[in-house]
Amino acid sequence: MTENIVCGFLAVMTLVPAALAVTVRNIFHAALWMVVCLSGVAGFFALAGADFLFVAQLLVYAGGILILLLFVVLLSGSPKDWAARAVNERWLPSVVVAAAFVTLLAVVLKALPSTVPPAGSPEPSTAALGRLILRDFLVPFEAVSFLLLAALIGAVHFSRKEDPAP
Amino acid sequence: MNLSVALPLVGAALFALGIFGVLARRNVLAVLMSIELLYNAAMLNFVAFNRYRYPDAAWGQGVALFILAIAAAEAVVGLALVLVVYRRFNTVLAEKLDLLKG
Repeated sequence: MTENIVCGFLAVMTLVPAALAVTVRNIFHAALWMVVCLSGVAGFFALAGADFLFVAQLLVYAGGILILLLFVVLLSGSPKDWAARAVNERWLPSVVVAAAFVTLLAVVLKALPSTVPPAGSPEPSTAALGRLILRDFLVPFEAVSFLLLAALIGAVHFSRKEDPAP
Repeated sequence: MNLSVALPLVGAALFALGIFGVLARRNVLAVLMSIELLYNAAMLNFVAFNRYRYPDAAWGQGVALFILAIAAAEAVVGLALVLVVYRRFNTVLAEKLDLLKG
């Protein structure tokens, strides 16, 4: 019962800011709404017993990526762009595609055999996650570390002062 | 409502909002934000299926952690590209970036 109330609250806290983030004109406000939405997703992680992901979501997404995004919004947007129309002229087909997609996913979910959620509150899963990453996922883990290094070098490379255009 | 259905439904709705944003937003930064929404919907579904269908394993959470790392890499490179595009074209509106004719 309590879980259902929490789930409903988190659903509102996730979906309403997400809808605002993809529709408001001011891109800075959209980024701020994204912070609320990502915190709601973190709440869902806590509800589903993913304690490490809860912290990682808050630290990496709400704390890291969104701050970076806000910096880029402030560095790149001219106020003229901020007040520009939020969506292009093909927004109606986009709504249709999105609605079709959510209908498809709902049908698929309905077709899945329903399961009884495990009783009781979930165990902390950080230790199991660590064992999983350092055993079964060891090679992907190293690959991701290379990917992050490559992304870092790529970002530095892209944001250097450019040579004057030939 | 059964939580094993409710969480994937929220993920599906989040994914649909992200798809709408990717297709319809004019600002490149808003498109990047919508891609982050897509990543979050996928992570939410991985965690929900892990918890409510395979509660003894942690693989869903492991995959979600990798999605988090890949999203961070994508955001860093994407935002650097947006800055370069803004310096060169002086706009962040997607329809103005029409260097490739076709």
